Amino acid sequence: MNNMKITRITLAAVLFCGVSFAQAQKAESSLQLSFSKQTDNSKTISALVMGKKSGEKFKPASNAHISFYAQKEKELVLLSKTVSDDRGKATLTLPKDLPLDADHFFGITVKVENDDTFENSEEKLKLKDVNLSLKLNPHDTARVATATVTEITDEGTEKAVKDVSINFYVQRLFGKMPAAEDHTVKTDEKGIAVFSFPKGIPGDTAGSMTVLAMIEDNDSYGTVESKSSTNWGVVVPLEKDPFPRAIWGAKAQWGMIITLTILYGGVWSSYIFMAFQLRKIKKEENLTTNN
Amino acid sequence: MSKIIYPDSHIPAELSEEVIREDSMRPTMKWGRSTQLWLGFLFMVFGWGLYAYIHQLRHGLGETAMRNYVSWGLYISTFVFFIGISHSGTLVSAILRITKQDWRMPITRIAELMTFVSLCFGGLMPIIDLGRADRIANLVIFGRVQSPLMWDVMSIVTYFTGSTIFLWLPMIPDMGLMRDRLTVVDTPFKKFKKWLYKTLAIGWTGSKSQWKRLELVMTIMTIIIIPVAVSVHTVVSYIFAMTLRPGWNSTIFGPYFVAGALYSGSAVVILAMVIFRKLYHLEKYITYRHFDLMGRVVLSLTLIYGYLNLNEYWIPAYKMATSEGHLLHDLFSGSYSTAFWLCQFGTVLFPIVVMCFPKGRTPGALTVVCIFIAIGAWVKRYLIVVPTLLHPFLPIQDVPLTWSQYFPNWVEWSVTMAAFSGMVIIVTLYAKFFPMMSMWEVVHGAHIEESKRVAFEKVEHAEEINEAKTNHKKATVVG
Repeated sequence: MNNMKITRITLAAVLFCGVSFAQAQKAESSLQLSFSKQTDNSKTISALVMGKKSGEKFKPASNAHISFYAQKEKELVLLSKTVSDDRGKATLTLPKDLPLDADHFFGITVKVENDDTFENSEEKLKLKDVNLSLKLNPHDTARVATATVTEITDEGTEKAVKDVSINFYVQRLFGKMPAAEDHTVKTDEKGIAVFSFPKGIPGDTAGSMTVLAMIEDNDSYGTVESKSSTNWGVVVPLEKDPFPRAIWGAKAQWGMIITLTILYGGVWSSYIFMAFQLRKIKKEENLTTNN
Repeated sequence: MSKIIYPDSHIPAELSEEVIREDSMRPTMKWGRSTQLWLGFLFMVFGWGLYAYIHQLRHGLGETAMRNYVSWGLYISTFVFFIGISHSGTLVSAILRITKQDWRMPITRIAELMTFVSLCFGGLMPIIDLGRADRIANLVIFGRVQSPLMWDVMSIVTYFTGSTIFLWLPMIPDMGLMRDRLTVVDTPFKKFKKWLYKTLAIGWTGSKSQWKRLELVMTIMTIIIIPVAVSVHTVVSYIFAMTLRPGWNSTIFGPYFVAGALYSGSAVVILAMVIFRKLYHLEKYITYRHFDLMGRVVLSLTLIYGYLNLNEYWIPAYKMATSEGHLLHDLFSGSYSTAFWLCQFGTVLFPIVVMCFPKGRTPGALTVVCIFIAIGAWVKRYLIVVPTLLHPFLPIQDVPLTWSQYFPNWVEWSVTMAAFSGMVIIVTLYAKFFPMMSMWEVVHGAHIEESKRVAFEKVEHAEEINEAKTNHKKATVVG
């Protein structure tokens, strides 16, 4: 009986220590949020989770349990729950009918919670929804790009937003390229930013290119993007053979192919000839036997 | 015994066909306890290596000592060594066959077998060196014809196919003989052997037209296998020489590798000759004369290799260009200097000095010399591969200090030893199923010796008659 008691106490102690130890082993976590609004008016919020074990540096935390909440007056409404990917990232497309406060701001709270590996942490974001539109006139020889920033008033009408920095870019294959050295223009009282598009930027085979106007990492609006296509680019004809046959190319030179084919073809055809002769030796067995 | 044969005769002419065949086939007729124990030991080593390889496959190349600096370590050094010794068959068999050197006959099969087994495992080593061996097919699917790695695959496959045929062709008449003989003798694995000999004999009856065809294909094969063998080791050298690295950036790497291959390959053939001569009591066939001639071959090749070695190191050492200088300092007086100088003295200078003297070309002395050459050739490949990788033009930034040093760990040693034991397993099994001498060629050699003896006796007899006639004339004149 006594032994049973001792065993139970020991087990409980071990379990308690184990749990305490496991809790003590939880890594510290932190969150970084970013908001972006695309040309099609879809809004996304991205969370980057960083984790840190004691004595180590913060590094992206994968498989962290993340919850996205919307602020509705004083309450938090759960939007979605997910886990971070290998790079510690989690992205959510926000619903269109986000609750707004009196100043037309929406609030998003992201939490790392209920996670066995990481300690709880949270980060909040409070932003205003603005519209960014980009107008390009393909027939405009002056090549002026006009971006307009507006916000919705209580009455439901659009109101110009001034002093917002707009960056102009050209979409390239692997990213966006600033359209000029000085590619930032601030909006005026009418909420308009006018950018003179430089000449000589290569387009596609028809001279077409995609131009982007962006509000980037703005404290009140986050990242908002608008893009439009135009034919302001320099026509770049399609090269007939952009990758000629070369030692360093994808295709070998004919000289090399022919030489190797002759060399190896010569050897292998001799092997085939030998196989043919050996087959004849085999056939001659029957002849000898019959004779 | 050696008095009769040495120094003029290659094969004793008085040996009958039946004796030659009996001596050749005797070892294949029984499996002694020692063979079983030997094979058991080899399979244990092989099994351990297989376990190490599976461990490497499961946990990745990180389980080896190879890191970003040295990504070609012991495996690729062993690969180059194996491809090197595969040249033995070409030299001893093809070159001596094409130059009609009759003394080659009892040793050609040993040489051809060495080529076959070394290629079996030589071809595997680069695959073992891959972290994901299952991706080897990508080399063929997505490979570029311009890549020396692609040429390597093509050359090795071509050479392996050729060497297999080259080993098999002279076996055909012997297989026919063994197939017929199996009906009257009892032997272990009789059923399997019957099927094996029948298959490999491809219906050999020894008819005139079959001999004619066999001679034709053997002539073609003998001519083809020489350039193929030379191309293989040249291409292996290109893997290094076409990479811009200190120590590899050399124009003589092709001939240097070929010479080194022929020299180490011949040394390995001599070692195999010593072993089979002793184990299978082939002293009548593999004579002192063979060792003397093979010793001369190895001596010539060592001199050529020594000359190329001098060019390979002395010319860059004379200039001591910055990047080459670091590597050469490491080899001449740094961390690899002991191995480097032991290689130079032990495998070049020492063999030359010993083999210059006739007594240095006897089986005992040659065994010592060839062991030095074989081990030295392996170490030399290691010295070609590893120190260069440790001295790149652009050192890798922010890497642990241990990455800039390399010594193979237990995984690499186990896998490499498995490859060696695998080679020996194939040789042992081969020797238990097939005669280690080409019987018909040895018989043919004995006939040649016999006809030479008869011709010699005739000449001597004619000289005696002439002398008698002359004396008779002189006597008549004086009288």
